[in-house]
Amino acid sequence: MSSTDKTPSDSPSTVLAGSFTCAWCGLTVSAVAGDGTRRNHCPSCLHSQHVLDHVEGGPSQCQSRMAPIAVAVLRTGDWMVIHRCIRCNELTSNPICTDDNQLILMRMAVRPLAQPPFPLEAFGDL
Amino acid sequence: MPKRASTSSGRTHRTRRPQRHKDVLHRQGGHRRHDFKCVSCKLDVSLDAPGTAHRNHCPNCLASLHVDRRIPGDRAAACRGRMEALSMSVRPDGEWMIIHQCQSCDEISANRIAGDDNALALVRLVMKPLRDTSIAHRMLLQLGPEPHVRDIATRGTGTSAAGLGPALVQLRPTDA
Repeated sequence: MSSTDKTPSDSPSTVLAGSFTCAWCGLTVSAVAGDGTRRNHCPSCLHSQHVLDHVEGGPSQCQSRMAPIAVAVLRTGDWMVIHRCIRCNELTSNPICTDDNQLILMRMAVRPLAQPPFPLEAFGDL
Repeated sequence: MPKRASTSSGRTHRTRRPQRHKDVLHRQGGHRRHDFKCVSCKLDVSLDAPGTAHRNHCPNCLASLHVDRRIPGDRAAACRGRMEALSMSVRPDGEWMIIHQCQSCDEISANRIAGDDNALALVRLVMKPLRDTSIAHRMLLQLGPEPHVRDIATRGTGTSAAGLGPALVQLRPTDA
């Protein structure tokens, strides 16, 4: 089985070398972003594919779609996207690219504030 | 001095009564077998939490311990590293989930918040991405076409995230 370093070539979503088709929105994306970094998620809908097993290491047999569930900020100020596999619930974190959809990123960041589990009025006094 | 010390210790040894029988067991299997001590702030935490049956993090500092592997509760991980709260996620039904990351092996896990979790720590975690307004500013400029949004974006330069509040309200979830 010939495989690249990122996605196995027998995957149905990998047609062209150096590019992949998004498992969610169907956009064909080049695997290298404009600034030379490798990308593993669709810049339009931020969905990814479960190709690496992070618990055991090595390639994963799951090959399912990974949905973005959160953004995280590192100490350096860089943003990461947290992905969750819709089939096996594995979580991964990946750095964002400059051409990622800023609207979806910001929507995930402000989503907790839309439905707070406790009233936020008390924090206005702090 | 040494002589006196030896005599006093000998006397206590002679008059020491046997230790009382202990009914409560503090060790494994005792009445505190469901409790844990936070690795970060050393708070003693009971596993009986309001709102959740699967508490795995400290309600004070939200830190956790890397003991589970794939399935929550399997206790199969050999890492035992400290897991810090990384970010907050929301389930489709509105439940908040804390995303933890192991400080020694970078493994990521998610857990629901409990009813007695520190609200200030939770809100600080949520506000972490919004503290830096440059991405919010860039996004509002990208949205572009509506003139009032662009107006808010240009007005919002150099202000805090509170200045972006009206603009963020206008963002509606799209198809994805």
